[in-house]
Amino acid sequence: MTRSLRARLLIGIIAGIILLLTVFSLLIYGVIRSALVKQFDTSLASVTRMLAASVELDNNDIELEFEIQQMSEFQNIENPTYYQLWEPNDTVAAKSPLLDTDDLSRSEGPLDTLVLGASQDKNGQPQRTASLKFMPRIADSDDKNYRPPTNVQALTLVVARDAGDLYGQLRFLRWLLLIASAAVIALSFLTAAVIVRQGLLPLNSIAAEIATIKEDNLTARITAEHVPAEVVQIKNRLNELLSRLQASFNRERQFNADVAHELRTPLAGLRSTIEVTLTHTRDEDEYKSALSDCHAIVENMQTMVNNLLTLAKLDTQQIRFHTEQIQLAELVNSCWRPFSDRALKRKISFHNNIEPEITCESDRRNLSIVLSNILDNAVEYADEGGQIRTTARRTDDSVEVAASNTGCQLTGEQVSQIFDCFWRGDLSRSETGTHCGLGLALVQRLIKALGGHATAKLQPGGIFILRLIFPT
Amino acid sequence: MRLLLIEDYRPLQQSLMKGLREAGFAVDTTGDGKEGLWYAMGNEYDVIILDLMLPGMDGLEILKKIRTQGRKSHVLILTAKDTLQDRITGLDLGADDYLVKPFAYKELLARVRALLRRSYQQKNPRIKVKDLQIDLTSHRVWRGKEEIQLTPREYALLEYMAMRAGQTISRTDIWEHVYDFNSSASSNVVDVYIGYLRKKIERPDKSQLIHTVRGRGYILGAQS
Repeated sequence: MTRSLRARLLIGIIAGIILLLTVFSLLIYGVIRSALVKQFDTSLASVTRMLAASVELDNNDIELEFEIQQMSEFQNIENPTYYQLWEPNDTVAAKSPLLDTDDLSRSEGPLDTLVLGASQDKNGQPQRTASLKFMPRIADSDDKNYRPPTNVQALTLVVARDAGDLYGQLRFLRWLLLIASAAVIALSFLTAAVIVRQGLLPLNSIAAEIATIKEDNLTARITAEHVPAEVVQIKNRLNELLSRLQASFNRERQFNADVAHELRTPLAGLRSTIEVTLTHTRDEDEYKSALSDCHAIVENMQTMVNNLLTLAKLDTQQIRFHTEQIQLAELVNSCWRPFSDRALKRKISFHNNIEPEITCESDRRNLSIVLSNILDNAVEYADEGGQIRTTARRTDDSVEVAASNTGCQLTGEQVSQIFDCFWRGDLSRSETGTHCGLGLALVQRLIKALGGHATAKLQPGGIFILRLIFPT
Repeated sequence: MRLLLIEDYRPLQQSLMKGLREAGFAVDTTGDGKEGLWYAMGNEYDVIILDLMLPGMDGLEILKKIRTQGRKSHVLILTAKDTLQDRITGLDLGADDYLVKPFAYKELLARVRALLRRSYQQKNPRIKVKDLQIDLTSHRVWRGKEEIQLTPREYALLEYMAMRAGQTISRTDIWEHVYDFNSSASSNVVDVYIGYLRKKIERPDKSQLIHTVRGRGYILGAQS
């Protein structure tokens, strides 16, 4: 299949025209041919019947009326008509003088049935023939002694007429139709070429507009006015695509800006802590304290960079999963360990209510990243003296893990945004830099990659529940 | 000079507070937007160092409110947002300077000093009152050719008085511009420090620099 729309349209149109012209030409030819042949045969048949009617059996002699024999058809050498009459025993009873020594070929159908056909004369000229088997008329006689013949037998008459003119006319008709068709095809090719070119012009104008849209100019839209309805569809779809692209680029840009912001803030803290410390010579404790501040900042930055990397890997599908049997309660406990000090400081109690026999088949490393982020979030947002609780439930082919914490101050609407990148719940409860809002976004992306999903729900009394449902 | 630092990222807040106090400034800090606005409205800060993304209230909102209420404090915006539009918006809302995180601490100090000079219409970083010279950049002080060693608090007091040399300065003014909320509150602390300062800069063989205006306060330099 050719790639050019123009060529395809042209080929299609021309093929259609050729097909239609062929069908119509054949139809016209067939109708005219059968009409002409029928007219020819009608005349031939009437001559044959007339001739047969003029045959008389007189005293067992077969006679043809003289006037009939003298009819112009039988005399015309240019366009001759021949006849020949046979007795049943193949004896030629009569034939046209023009035949001279030649014979027509004898053929016959049932009695009194005219049989029409085509043949050729001795020179190979086409003829049409009519043959009739008939009972000859018995001559009347006024003579009293006349006795009608007793044994009357059927005679066979064959009349042949030169059909050169007829076939000549048909040949002419064939040529006429062929040449006319060729002319029509040639003209329609030119017309179609112009129409197709004109018809495709709006596409060219749209293509030219599209060519001007660059990746840094996604606010541009295709304006192409006065284009046909079909092209308007394309235009609208393309503009919608551009809108989606633009939205996606904006999201990306926003994400990058957020990343920059979230990295700059701890960097500023790090730099300022170091530079302020270096302004004077200080005692050992001051240096120690500054270094430990810097260390905490660096740890937070490292977590954030790791989360960013994992997100980027998820986006480019570079993460590989190794499924293994995991004991959930134990995994949750090991994920909780790094947060236990923080929880203790704020008197938050942790209850891992997952039954030890609940296991699942999943990727240990990534599942622990998910659980750590959820627990991190829970410690961060639980109220002082509050509770964090984890539970799990197993069905035939999936596991549901839920982590809840008390003291949630989010509204229902805020809970619905909780999985967005860089969205930080109640800003007054978290400090810039320490919690950059990537954790739960990562949770959702990772659990999706593991084939499951995460939901967040707010229960009366400020209990925030995060559920993970994933296949096993 | 008294500064207000509104910054919610604790490591940055704490280190800047420490550095600025060591540099002789009286510094109040908060990490909350609403509290920051309340501080800014209640005190005549010389410079407010303002972060933009703040819990409670957005930095730009605070700036707008400060300006509509007619507060004259100089505002230095400190933010991680660095697009041209962010800067323009901040400056157009009445900020005096803009510093993008991360920044060099010395640059912040220099900008704060520049804003202070602007506040007191002091283009020259070296102030001369009679034969007393104060270098605002290095915080060094000379009487004639003799260099005088001052504690940061003494220097801060002298600097404020030198910025307003020739004007009568009330005890309240001194209290508001030289001490922060962290300072031990004592009604005569100003008089005590004026006493320390007099001991260090006055010379019996030279003309008196710090004059007491009875019932009104003090004047550095010629009595007007």
